Amino acid sequence: MTTLASALALLVALAVAGVLFGRRAHLLYRIVRLGKPTDRTGDAGRRARTEATVVLGQRKLLQRVVPGLVHALVFWGFVVLLPTILMALLGAVDEDWTLPWLGHQGWYLLLVDVFCVLVLVGVIAAFGIRKVQRPARFEGSHLREADLILGLIAVIVTTLLLWHASQIALGIAEWPAGWSPLSNAIATAMGDGAWLETGERVFVWLHVLTILSFLVYLPYSKHLHIGTAGINVWFGRTRSRGRLEPLDFEVEDEAALRLGSGTLVDMTWKQMLDTMSCTECGRCQDVCPAWATGKDLSPKLLIMGLRDRLFAEGPAVLDGREPTALVPAAVTDEVVWDCVTCGACVHECPVSIEHVDHIVDLRRHLVMAESRFPAEAGTMLRDVGRSSNPWGKPQSERAAWADGLGVRVLEPGDPAPEVLYWVGCAASFDERARASARATATLLLHAGLDVGILGPRESCTGDPARRMGDEFTFQEQARRNVATLGEAGVTRIVTSCPHCFNTLGSEYTDFGGSYEVVHHTELLAELLADGRLEAPEGTDPITYHDSCYLARHNDVVAAPRAIVSRIGRPLEMARHGKRTFCCGAGGAHMWMEERGSAINEERAREAAATGAETLAVACPFCTMMLDDGVRQTGSGLRVADVAVLLAEAVVPASGD
Amino acid sequence: MTVLVYLEHADGAVDEPSLQAVTLARSLARAASVQAVSACGDSTQAPADGLGGHGVDVLHAAMHDAFATYAPRAIAETIAELAGRLGAAAVIGPGTERGNEVLAHVAALLDLPLAANCVSASGAEVTRIRWGGSLLEEARVDASPLLLTVQPHALAAQVGAQGTATVESFTPSLSEAALALRVVERAAAATGGVSLADAKVVVSGGRGAGSAEGFGPIEELAGLLDAAVGCSRAVTMAGWRPHTDQVGQTGTKIAPEIYIACGISGATQHMAGCKGAKRILAINADRDAPILQSADYAVIGDMHEVVPAISAALRAARP
Repeated sequence: MTTLASALALLVALAVAGVLFGRRAHLLYRIVRLGKPTDRTGDAGRRARTEATVVLGQRKLLQRVVPGLVHALVFWGFVVLLPTILMALLGAVDEDWTLPWLGHQGWYLLLVDVFCVLVLVGVIAAFGIRKVQRPARFEGSHLREADLILGLIAVIVTTLLLWHASQIALGIAEWPAGWSPLSNAIATAMGDGAWLETGERVFVWLHVLTILSFLVYLPYSKHLHIGTAGINVWFGRTRSRGRLEPLDFEVEDEAALRLGSGTLVDMTWKQMLDTMSCTECGRCQDVCPAWATGKDLSPKLLIMGLRDRLFAEGPAVLDGREPTALVPAAVTDEVVWDCVTCGACVHECPVSIEHVDHIVDLRRHLVMAESRFPAEAGTMLRDVGRSSNPWGKPQSERAAWADGLGVRVLEPGDPAPEVLYWVGCAASFDERARASARATATLLLHAGLDVGILGPRESCTGDPARRMGDEFTFQEQARRNVATLGEAGVTRIVTSCPHCFNTLGSEYTDFGGSYEVVHHTELLAELLADGRLEAPEGTDPITYHDSCYLARHNDVVAAPRAIVSRIGRPLEMARHGKRTFCCGAGGAHMWMEERGSAINEERAREAAATGAETLAVACPFCTMMLDDGVRQTGSGLRVADVAVLLAEAVVPASGD
Repeated sequence: MTVLVYLEHADGAVDEPSLQAVTLARSLARAASVQAVSACGDSTQAPADGLGGHGVDVLHAAMHDAFATYAPRAIAETIAELAGRLGAAAVIGPGTERGNEVLAHVAALLDLPLAANCVSASGAEVTRIRWGGSLLEEARVDASPLLLTVQPHALAAQVGAQGTATVESFTPSLSEAALALRVVERAAAATGGVSLADAKVVVSGGRGAGSAEGFGPIEELAGLLDAAVGCSRAVTMAGWRPHTDQVGQTGTKIAPEIYIACGISGATQHMAGCKGAKRILAINADRDAPILQSADYAVIGDMHEVVPAISAALRAARP
């Protein structure tokens, strides 16, 4: 073929592939443009860092070493080999053409050889994982699609090697062939037959056409993530992971009022992009406490369900058709309510999909637009609004736990304390959780801190209502508490409850409340380090359970461990720190009946397996759930708040 | 405009919630016509007495054998047919369990929205009760006819209209599907006696019961006291008792004269369900169980010994 004919053939191939790819890409772009606004601007520095670590550095993927490395090999290979696509396009036109400069660099062609091998190793290992090891996380994923894609990658890399080898064998390589050990070895094996001239043309065209087929197939497959994941990671959340995006009820135009996600057009563009970024790797499913205990929810299947609906209905909606309800067509009611909002899926996801936001938006619509939610949770929602706590207890009893301890109950007009102890409903009213409030207050007073509580003026932060999807009740509680705290002149707050900690510290800023908020484990660890509290070294085996809202959502991991390692011998559970496993109470599940097997029992068994005698916790809800779990599984572990354990160990500081 | 009201009736008298629906219909129809429809097994059942005083102009007594018992789909088809024939601008029913069910069927048949549990209506603007009474929602319903049900006892049924309602009988043409949904049999609730929510005495077991069989002594004591049997969440989670037996915030809320809690630790969610109890007797082996903070009386001991002993003493004390 002459150069001109080749160029024409290539132009035709490029045009066909370009049109097929472009049409699909344009459709996907138009669908994403249907999405509701969400502000993902600003924080460019932080976004760039995340892009560098999560995308280029493959940080999230490498949380699982073997499959992470497998992906990293293929991904890094893809990056290194990108220029060879241009080389192949030029080479397909004329065997003497290549990229200026780079096409003549021996070192680069050495890299190409090396990464071709690494990619092939990656592909073979990936096949091994999928065909031999067959991890459960792939349950429900499109497995044949993955096989096809791995096969295409193998063909692309193999034809590249064969093409380079045939160039060397023909003596037309544009680079010093000594730099390409593998291509050279293949070239030697090829000999110098007459078929080589044709062979070289066949290899380069096979290579180019496979790449173009891959390009066309991409936007129709789950492998779309090659194009979308990098963008999705860039637009990921940059503020506290525990914070939910508030809804604006004060919008002028009622049509613009968004009550969560009822149909696909209620989803934000980021949520739409989320669904297009999912590769069905199932890392989220693997860490999901709901899935692990036999419930319907799999974060992966949730995102896939939304994506399927988006692709099925999106084109018609673009043509002006009315969209239909997401629940139960795309996602069932059960799936929506199974979630404990622990965020394990979000933490695990390599492409920054924000599953919890999807769930909460679906709940918001069901609760606020349809009054459709598990009936047993209705009392809680009403009690938060009416009685200021989720159990409908009398507010007058809120400070009863503190009787005789000498804690200052702040009356209106009292001077603000050095630190306000925000006790929270659970530690105020629940008998088991009260022990931690008593211990915390005793320790703070013992350390000589000026600490006060709001008593009956403290009201539920609204967290359980918000996680249920009742944003309206949450915002009422938020405004009321922000007003109370402002009136009391509070600047520094210590909380016992990680949910209050998250709400006060990360969410109330959206409602004009800005405070320095610490968790009691942080404050107590600080007092211990400063010597204002003294405790002898202990040796009892203790395992510490990280609360999701403390560790994963708000990065408090070290402080409770500092206390535990002082008063005992710490033993870690397999799932700990930011990769902790929920106790089962989050997402308002404290007030819902559980289906399937119990999450708290699963966690209690894991704790017992460490051989510890004490299960230390730092959350009143974890205390209740795990205490129940331990009793139910009969392991005999003692469940106690870190503050309770510390109070038992503390001796008066010298000169006190 | 004509407004059609669905009336529920028993023994020749219209139920109060239906009369309240008529009152709302009158406020909606102003001076125009309020007509009513009732489902009757035969012509003697038409509940016409006094309807004129409530402001009903015409009572359409729909006759069909299917109406000998409750047949929601058949009633709905009747209402839909009649509404079409009258050109009704609105169809209104009582917001009772059955009224809501019938009107929901009408809405499905006509493929229109239904605004349930309204307390007032003016044109297409309605105010209705949501969330178990904690929220009043103002909504505009774009539909013709307008389909509403009226929250029972949210407004008083008004009398004082001059006139009598004429009764016209009406024979609906019902589809086969309409006849498929009918009452086949009535059976009393199988709880075997006292309902948990209304019981004067409740005897509950918790994790301390140890097993489903561990409820034997509790049932025995409950039988002696004419009490209902309850349980804690741990028990239903373990599958020892059905969820209908669960006392708690996520189960049944009870308000007995005395609550006997056996082997129940007293989690906050459980206590939220029994805070209506006048007196609590806790039987628990654990001296530190949280329930002892709320109990009026307590026996510290193994429920497997204490409960049978109480039953034995009760038997001995009775002639």
